[in-house]
Amino acid sequence: MIELHRVSKVFAVGPVKVPALSDVSFRVGKGEFVTLHGASGAGKTTLLRLLYRDELPTDGEIEVLGCNVPRLRVREAAALRRSISVVFQDARLLSRRTVYENVAFVLRVVGTPRREVTPRVFDALRAVGLSSRAKAYPAQLSQGEAQRAALARAIARKPLLLLADEPTGGLDASMASEVLDIIKDICAGGTTVVLATHHAALAGALRQRTLTLVGGRLVKDEG
Amino acid sequence: MLGFLIGEALRDLRRAGRVAVAAIVLTTLSLAALGGFWIVSSNVGQAAARWRDRVRIIVYLKREPPASDVDALVERVQAMPGVATVRYVSKAEALGTLKQVLGKDASVAEQLPTNPLPASIEVTLTADGATPDVARGLIAALSDLPEADEVAGGIDWIERLARGKRLLEIIGLSIGAVLALAAILTVTTATTLVLHLRRQELEIMRLVGASEVVVRLPLLLQGMLQGLVGAVMAIAVLVAVFTFGGPRLEPLVTQTLGLDRLTFLNPQTVAMLMLAGTMLGGFGGWLARGRTEP
Repeated sequence: MIELHRVSKVFAVGPVKVPALSDVSFRVGKGEFVTLHGASGAGKTTLLRLLYRDELPTDGEIEVLGCNVPRLRVREAAALRRSISVVFQDARLLSRRTVYENVAFVLRVVGTPRREVTPRVFDALRAVGLSSRAKAYPAQLSQGEAQRAALARAIARKPLLLLADEPTGGLDASMASEVLDIIKDICAGGTTVVLATHHAALAGALRQRTLTLVGGRLVKDEG
Repeated sequence: MLGFLIGEALRDLRRAGRVAVAAIVLTTLSLAALGGFWIVSSNVGQAAARWRDRVRIIVYLKREPPASDVDALVERVQAMPGVATVRYVSKAEALGTLKQVLGKDASVAEQLPTNPLPASIEVTLTADGATPDVARGLIAALSDLPEADEVAGGIDWIERLARGKRLLEIIGLSIGAVLALAAILTVTTATTLVLHLRRQELEIMRLVGASEVVVRLPLLLQGMLQGLVGAVMAIAVLVAVFTFGGPRLEPLVTQTLGLDRLTFLNPQTVAMLMLAGTMLGGFGGWLARGRTEP
C-alpha cells in the first residue's frame, strides 16, 4: 500500500537548506491504521504531503497504491489522488457552500454521475452523524461538527487511503474522541489510515502501530 | 459535468464583481473601436471601388479624323492593355454636351464663330487595369498616338483614397489592439482575482484529483463569457451609433464620397467580432495561473 525507502526532503529557503526528513523508510499494509507521532516540526506534515505528491522528495523512493509517486506525471498524480482523501486540522470547508454542497462538490469535480451524488453524500453524512446538518453553512457548525463534515467529505469518495493531519487538533477531548471513532470506523471499512498527531497521549490511546519522528528521522516503529 | 462547470463559471463571474465589469467594458471599447474603424474603412473602400469604375482617360485629338479613319483609331486604342471600352466623341458631340451642361446659357456657345472643342476618345479601364502602373503605361501609350494632342485623367487620386482606407484600417487595428491588450490584461486580473477567491476550492479540487480540465475550464469559460458579453455590447453600441448617427452623416457622405448610403458591418463581420471577443476573454482567462504542481 505505502512503501518509503530512504526518503529525504530538504527545503531550500534562499541559500539556506532546511532538512525536513532524513533517510525515512517504512512500509504500511492495506487496511492498516498507522499513527505518525512527533513534535511540531518533526516532519509529519511533510511526510504526508510526499504521500499525496504535494511535495517531491529530495531523495529516496516512495510507492503509494502501486505508484512510484515522485515519477508520476501531473495527470497520473491526479489519478492517484482520486484514491486518497486528506483531512487537515482546520476542516477547510468551503464557507459559501452548505455541508451538503461541500461533500457534493468533491464528488462532482471528479466526475461522479449526478444521480449518484445525493445518496453518496447522505451515506457519508450519516456515517459521521451529520445528516441533520446538511443544510448548515460552515460558520453555523461547531469545530467538532466541522471536522466531522470534513471527514464526510473524505469518505464520500470511498478512498483506499485516508491521510489525516492533526484531525483532532483544536478539539476538546469529547469531540476528539468522536472524530477518532469515526476514523477507526473508516479503517474498519477497509481504508488504510495514516494519522499524524503531536499528542503522545492520543497516539498511545489509539493502540495502533505508531511511527515516531524526531527532527525528520524515524526513530521508532512500534505496535 | 459541463453544466456543473458552466455553473461554476457563472458563480466565478459573479464573484469577480467590479473587475469582471471592467474587463467587459474594456472588451466592449476595444471591439467597438475595431468595429467602428471597420465600418468607416469598408465604406471608404466601397467609394474607392465605385470611383475606380468611373475613371476615364480622355485623349484629345489634334484634329478631327475623317469618318473613315475613326473605326481604325478606336480599334487601335481598344487593343491596348488595360482598356475596357473606347468611345469616340466628335467635335459636334462635344459641343452638344457643352450646351447641355450650360443649360440656359447655351446660347453663349452658339455665338462662337467656330467650334473650339477638340474631338476626343474616352477610354475606360478594365478592373485589372485600374492600377496606377497600368494607367500610367496606358497614358504613355495613348500620348504616343500620332493623332493625340493631349491625354487627361488618371487614377492617382483614387489610389490616395485607397491608401487612406488602408491607413484607417491600420489606425483601427492599432487602437483595437491596444484596447484588446488592456481587455486581456483586465480579464486576466479578473480571473486571477477569482483564483484568489477560489483558492480553497482549487486546493480541494487538486487534493481530490480533479483533472486539469475541470480545474481550468470554469476559469476559461468565465473569461470567454466576459469576452462574449463585451462583444455583444460592442455590437449593440455600434448598432446604436449607426442607427442614430448614420442618417445624419449620409448627406455629407453622399457629397464627399459619392455613396448613396452608409453600410453597416455584414453578418460575417459581426460573427467575427463576437468570436474575437470570446477568444480575447478566453485568452485572458487562460493566462491567469494558479498554483502549479510540483
